[in-house]
Amino acid sequence: MSYYFTILSPTDTPIFNIAFGTSKGGGDGIARFRFPDTAQYMNQFIIHSSLDILEEAQWTNGGMYLKHIDTYPPAAAYISAFLTPSGARFLLLHQPPQLPTSGSSSVLGGSSLLGSSGSTTRASSSSVAANPTSPQTEEAVRQFMNEVYESYVKTAMSPFYKQGMEIRSPVFRTKITAAGKKWL
Amino acid sequence: MAAPPRHVSMLSISNSNSNSNAGTPQSTSSEKPQTPQPPSTPQPTSGLRVPSNRKTIYDRHLNRSRNAESSRASFAYLFAEMVAYAQRRVKGIQDLEKKLNEQGYPLGLRLLDLLFYRSTSTSSSALSSSSTSSSPPNRPLRILPLLHLIHGPLWRLLFQRSADALEHSVSPDTPNEYMITDNDPLVNTYISVPRELNMLNCAAFIAGVIEGVCDGCGFEAKVSAHNQPTEMWPSRTVFLLRFGDSVMEREKVLERAGVK
Amino acid sequence: MSATKASRIGEEIWKTRIDKVNAELVTLTYGTIVAQLCQDYNSDYQEVNKQLEKMGHNIGMRLIEDFLAKSGVGRCANFRETADMIAKVGFKIFLNVAPTVTNWTSDNNQFSLIFDENPLADFVELPDDGRAQDELWFSNILCGVLRGALEMVQMQIEAHFVSDVLRGDDTTEMRVSLVRYIEDEMPPEEE
Repeated sequence: MSYYFTILSPTDTPIFNIAFGTSKGGGDGIARFRFPDTAQYMNQFIIHSSLDILEEAQWTNGGMYLKHIDTYPPAAAYISAFLTPSGARFLLLHQPPQLPTSGSSSVLGGSSLLGSSGSTTRASSSSVAANPTSPQTEEAVRQFMNEVYESYVKTAMSPFYKQGMEIRSPVFRTKITAAGKKWL
Repeated sequence: MAAPPRHVSMLSISNSNSNSNAGTPQSTSSEKPQTPQPPSTPQPTSGLRVPSNRKTIYDRHLNRSRNAESSRASFAYLFAEMVAYAQRRVKGIQDLEKKLNEQGYPLGLRLLDLLFYRSTSTSSSALSSSSTSSSPPNRPLRILPLLHLIHGPLWRLLFQRSADALEHSVSPDTPNEYMITDNDPLVNTYISVPRELNMLNCAAFIAGVIEGVCDGCGFEAKVSAHNQPTEMWPSRTVFLLRFGDSVMEREKVLERAGVK
Repeated sequence: MSATKASRIGEEIWKTRIDKVNAELVTLTYGTIVAQLCQDYNSDYQEVNKQLEKMGHNIGMRLIEDFLAKSGVGRCANFRETADMIAKVGFKIFLNVAPTVTNWTSDNNQFSLIFDENPLADFVELPDDGRAQDELWFSNILCGVLRGALEMVQMQIEAHFVSDVLRGDDTTEMRVSLVRYIEDEMPPEEE
């Protein structure tokens, strides 16, 4: 599984981004997006195109963790969301590795037209490392989001941090990387 | 077909690690992976030094000072200096109240996050009176739960007690107005206001905090503080919350949809 | 009076005679003040330090009365006793911390206060602008408070921070020097 995690301010400014790969099921923590050349652009595009759905979900579900909210089939990308009460949005894009299973083959058929290539995985299809919508994954993402939230609140509590400011602290980045490693 | 060459993936990692070139398409070419990346943004290597124990704000538990106490006098001295400083930089009471409001606003955003963090991280929730509740709290979707959040948990975090009253405007012309009353606001009790400012209500600062909380939760509102003394409570203050039209519209939609 | 006795007095007063508030309210209010100053003075941190010291001086001049009334302590016999009184009674009853008094010079005119805890700085990370950590003394208001308070009891002192964990130092240390006793002035009348 490859992950792209971003924090958007309440006015949709990206204030933090990170890409990483799964560490579960023997993963090496390195992101391997299907279209590495355009991954960064595509990931941001996909995340932004899920914002309408997020805004709808925001007013029907009062939880902070909204779970899996959107799927972008052309890139087999799944989006999970967490909303802080003060309006920042944590969005996690997961892209499973291409599996030779029937469930995802139609999706892959679309993407291979764009020149994508196959890869294999050691993980089983229900595990966090492979299945973005399994209950295990939802729970793992919840844990990840909660840890990010803790670090985010610590950032936001500093009197010098203003809402919408880019989070540049390398310590913050380290914490998020560690949370990814621990749960995803 | 083979998996994409590993170095390409690596490059895409290092790109996405520099986090401020959001929205910029990458120009990496897989044919020439050896080409160094254009430094769209230099990797922000923080200049912040840390003590040798490497402790930063991220290592300090957010609940550490949860029950810590300080003196009311220190708060009063600091708050009085804040007011005096603001006063020197504005003309008139209205400006001054606006300035105090603006200083309270970001605090409201911070306190909101802190409140929710604390209620998710501990079994005795800061957002409910029940000490057995362990499920994470909900973000307020409707006005009423938002007001309860302010009247109860926010007030308790700041002043160690709930506010004294919560009312809805009875006038049919102003259904968007709500009042939260504090009979004896801390910010007024210990602050002696200069005579020429006797109309000033320092609770404008708290009004700003409330406004930050409302806005943070997605309820655009204007909040102001008003002196409404009674014989028993000479510094009684009413916080008037006026929600914007968009909030009232959404309120109707959510009501129809059965959202509580 | 010994340091331990001063500690006991401080504890006792804190427990019995002090109105309390949530410490975070104090922390957040102070943070708001400093952030506002930095904004208003366009991150001219030297100027911010100066303004904070001035605010502190203002506070100190008023706070001393409160201190004397609550503590009921009399005149200190010497500067060493004054130091303990500041650290173990003054800081205790106003901020609920008791910094360590140390690093005396041989003439007993200079000492350091080491703050293991500094409630003013909780939650704070200085701006990562390449200057704040070299120029801003976040808690500088405390220097002013000491100067203002001691001035009212006929002591001219000078106080400044020499290190701060917010700057990446291992300790937060304030250096306090006695300049002179102001003997030619009457104490201010109360009320």
